[in-house]
Amino acid sequence: MMLQPEKIEPVLPQRQPDSTALQIQGLNLWLGHTPVLEGVDLVLAQTGVTTLIGPSGAGKSSLLRCINGLYQNWQGQIELLGRDIRHWPGGWDQLRSHVGLIAQKPCVFPQSIRANVVFGVQGWRQRRRADALVEAVLRQAALWDEVSARLLAPAETLSLGQQQRLCIARALAIKPGLLLLDEPTASLDPRSKQLIEQSVKSLAASMPVLCVTHDLEQARRLGGQVVFMCDGKVIEQADCESFFQRPKRLESREFLSWNVCEC
Amino acid sequence: MLKFWLTFSSLTTAIIILAVLGFLLQASWPLMQSQGLSFVTGTEWYPYEQLYGMLPVLVGSFWSIVLALLLAVPTGLAAAILCAELLPERGRAALRFSMELMAGIPSVVYGLLGLWLLLPLLESQFDLLTGRSLLAAGLLLALMILPTIMVFSESALRAVVTEQRETALLLGLDWPTRLLRLLLPQAWPGIRVAILLALGRAMGETVAVMLVVGSMDRLPQPLYNLLQPAQTLTSRVGREMAEAVVGSVHWAALISSGLALALVAMLLSLLTQRWRS
Repeated sequence: MMLQPEKIEPVLPQRQPDSTALQIQGLNLWLGHTPVLEGVDLVLAQTGVTTLIGPSGAGKSSLLRCINGLYQNWQGQIELLGRDIRHWPGGWDQLRSHVGLIAQKPCVFPQSIRANVVFGVQGWRQRRRADALVEAVLRQAALWDEVSARLLAPAETLSLGQQQRLCIARALAIKPGLLLLDEPTASLDPRSKQLIEQSVKSLAASMPVLCVTHDLEQARRLGGQVVFMCDGKVIEQADCESFFQRPKRLESREFLSWNVCEC
Repeated sequence: MLKFWLTFSSLTTAIIILAVLGFLLQASWPLMQSQGLSFVTGTEWYPYEQLYGMLPVLVGSFWSIVLALLLAVPTGLAAAILCAELLPERGRAALRFSMELMAGIPSVVYGLLGLWLLLPLLESQFDLLTGRSLLAAGLLLALMILPTIMVFSESALRAVVTEQRETALLLGLDWPTRLLRLLLPQAWPGIRVAILLALGRAMGETVAVMLVVGSMDRLPQPLYNLLQPAQTLTSRVGREMAEAVVGSVHWAALISSGLALALVAMLLSLLTQRWRS
């Protein structure tokens, strides 16, 4: 019997009436004696993809780690759905269950594919009865057709690309309100890259997605907003087309031409 | 040349193990012949009347080991979790060092400690004549195997991959959930090996147990009464071996205790190897 995919609705504390999902103001982060982020301002709408681009060491991944509370020693203001994340109800763990983060390198647990998908779901009974959820999130991650017949097989038997999509499904299973992706397709084959991009685009129709990438072509394909960062600062934020066609800042133009930035 | 030495060493080890087993079997044969199965089921141990029933020592060994494991496994595991997950690096190093130090203390010192501190305490707490009892043996054994369980379990917990820890954190799971859903299941093979090694040590411990168990060759009344003096396999061998005439049935009976221990130890070792792989 085919299960009806469950529609994944983010479960979040009261949404703000306005269309802002994430608002960052004057974010500063120091790691040791090194400034990593300086005065970062960023706004994310309730839906759509925003790609973070910039040279290595620009602070892109650190920004993601601040948003989901892995770094907590920052100064400034980060508001998710109008709430200061420092005062998120239930603390940092609760915040993380609303902010899915997919790392560059896929990490699966040495368990079955199904167990991996429901790993973050709270409650033993909920995990046991999550067939519909498993199918829904695997479909959203464009993995269902490849694994539906072997959900109880070890997750390590999947290819790297499939493992990364499994990680996306696992993050979606906790019903996040914001999805952060840290170079999700680095070192993956073109087919896996394409599937993940399709998945990200369809997810972005219902939730905000912030994706770090070094691949400018990928940023172009994903569309939405582009945020260019360099040396811990946001240099330019614009919609995809205008950023790539008519970058306003000299640093952006240099980066698009030479893939380097001397800001 | 290296291959030769490796083969030679492996063969020598195997021959020694087989020789030990062969010796134990051959030396305990006179008892098997004279007593048959009543050797295992008999409750009387009177060497002067040629009665060699092993049941009281089997029960004594069983209770002391079970009690030791019941106390040491949760405590050792809790200490391992504290050490691996909660303490800062300096505290972790200090706790681990103290546990390693504990593991290195000779068992006779534990026995003396038991005589000096544990027996008077049990004596006064439970209104006993001497304090020598299965409870004393179990408590002392628990203390002795605690470092083994703690040190090996801590290593197993710390071996859980950092990426997996971070992934569980990213999924918004709180610490107790991460511990139950990720850390303990992942570390379980190592913890299991730790328990088996501790069990091996508890089974083989002689001197410390001999000093506190009471060396009374009778079944506890009732069978679960841990406050009575009793005897274990090792404490009997330790106590009577010097008095037995080599080649006598008494000597064979004591060797049989050694054979029983050796067989169980080998079984445990096999299980450990199997679970490790």
